[in-house]
Amino acid sequence: MEYDENGVSIVSNEFKKEIFEEAKKDFRYEEYVKGCLNCGVCTGGCPPHRFFDFSPRMVLQNCKSNDPELVWGMMDEYVWACFQCFTCAMICPFLNNPGGVIAILREISVRRGFESAKKVLKPYSRVLLKLTAYGNQLSPDMIQPDFFPDWGPHIVYASQDLPLKRKAIPMPTLQVTNLAWDVAPEAMKELYTIFEEAGVFKIIEVVDPALYEIIQDIVDDVRSE
Amino acid sequence: MAIEIRNRLGLADVKSDFRHIAGRKIENIHEELLELEAKGEIKVIHITDKNKPIEAETLFGRKKKIPTTKLWHHKSCGQCGNIPGYPVSLLWFMNKFGTEYIDEKNQTSCTAWNYHGSATSNPVGLAAVAVRNFHRAYELGLFPLIHCATSFGDYKEMRNLLVENKELRDEVRRIMHKIGRELILPEEIVHYSEWVHVMRFEIAKLKKYDLSNIITTVHPACHCYKMIPEDCIYDKDIYAGKRTAVSTGVALALGAQVADYSTWYDCCGFGFRHILTEREASRSFVMDRKIRPMVREANSDVCITQDTGCTTTLDKNQWIGKAMGYTEQVPVMADVMFAALACGADVYKIVQLQWHTTDWRPLCEKMGIDWKKSEEEYKAYLEQLRAGGKPENLYEYA
Repeated sequence: MEYDENGVSIVSNEFKKEIFEEAKKDFRYEEYVKGCLNCGVCTGGCPPHRFFDFSPRMVLQNCKSNDPELVWGMMDEYVWACFQCFTCAMICPFLNNPGGVIAILREISVRRGFESAKKVLKPYSRVLLKLTAYGNQLSPDMIQPDFFPDWGPHIVYASQDLPLKRKAIPMPTLQVTNLAWDVAPEAMKELYTIFEEAGVFKIIEVVDPALYEIIQDIVDDVRSE
Repeated sequence: MAIEIRNRLGLADVKSDFRHIAGRKIENIHEELLELEAKGEIKVIHITDKNKPIEAETLFGRKKKIPTTKLWHHKSCGQCGNIPGYPVSLLWFMNKFGTEYIDEKNQTSCTAWNYHGSATSNPVGLAAVAVRNFHRAYELGLFPLIHCATSFGDYKEMRNLLVENKELRDEVRRIMHKIGRELILPEEIVHYSEWVHVMRFEIAKLKKYDLSNIITTVHPACHCYKMIPEDCIYDKDIYAGKRTAVSTGVALALGAQVADYSTWYDCCGFGFRHILTEREASRSFVMDRKIRPMVREANSDVCITQDTGCTTTLDKNQWIGKAMGYTEQVPVMADVMFAALACGADVYKIVQLQWHTTDWRPLCEKMGIDWKKSEEEYKAYLEQLRAGGKPENLYEYA
């Protein structure tokens, strides 16, 4: 993909049309995009709208316009502003689901390996690694002062003597530091099969090839145990 | 069930597959689920008398059965990793009530935090993970109790998508066969806060401290009540049925004050991606939209939550606010943790408030809890463990 001097991707109208068609072919699209009265209730209640240039009303209006150019315009940073809280879906009088549309567009963005998706997800790789390799999304040893300095001096306490403090938690499954709970290898192996069959590993390979290599090494190790 | 709608003049008979109440539809997911079971398309984990269910009313009046025993704990990554007192408090209550349950290692994450943060999955992957964990509960003869609100929201959504889409069912069934499992869905998707809600009067019987001077503000979790809202518990005696009843219900049953604040409906600022990669957004949201209104408008002593990400986001992001002149602070904990404190659970060993960032000690003192004694006992316990002592667990792991 080519980019202009402002880092904005330059693509043909055909490609924009292809992306929009891909979104419309998603089996959830018709359920998420119905009639839009342009009432703005969704944007009025939208939490990220208060802090970002993001409006669920525009998401719906752009989809309803049937103009690939307008939908393409949301594919870079715009879709990543959404909090995925689904306030918009709950309060929409027409039962639209702009947050659901965002999820569809984001899926396309990572599946196609758009640079904007790669850039946005780069700092996210630790969670992706933990999840896809071990079946947990967060672990106690991830909470470190150097990663969360803005969480204050208490984080030092929470990270010190971690094995002992975890052992003092009266649930045997939680007495580990490298995982939220001690995931059984058989559960991890089943998860790997699901990720393979559902195309999740393939998505990660597209969006972060280096991370994919690390994950595959761990997967191979667990499978050979 | 198709509902017959006749217009007032009797000029036309219309059969609708759903009914509208207050502008929203109720799809008959629960009936379609049973129809699919009858056709042999799926298996269903039923809630039976053995689960000792208690009914609660949902948004549009449907009665939801909440199983109170024979439960399989579907744990939360964030709770177990970062707020361990959350699941421990829940299991502490279950032990008090003699609830039968299993907490085990053979469970995966729901993977939905990752999906909503990074989109590196898809409906097939999410639905297959959901069914995999449901099937694990089924083979143990137990009913899944979902701890995390995002898992709860995601599983409700996946249940609906699976019921409505044959292609998705076929694909997930194919994957399940590859891992030696079957396509199975529970009769209800049940969140732990719903268990706490229907057990609230039993919980209140265990109350040890007077909470009449404690002002709580409740933060309802988006993925609890905004995703598939028709499956959430509402009660005409709680906020006149205008807001979801869970969490508020147990605080009221315990005799605490529940104060209103103008931004109750706002999310916490977690944002899934933002809490990790765009934290200034989460921080600003926490202070401007949640903590400051809770303190300024309600003079809140404690913020009560019902989800993992909310508890973390609201608790961890107050300290940094001081740098920008935000002096308001309020301790944050889940409904079940607050209830456990009120019922005499140990501050450190059970409720595990030592992991929380925002100062909770003033709340304990206002409740009449001797947290210093608890701290000393915890320190001594850690030394015992360091010397090779055995942990005091809530259950024996087989």
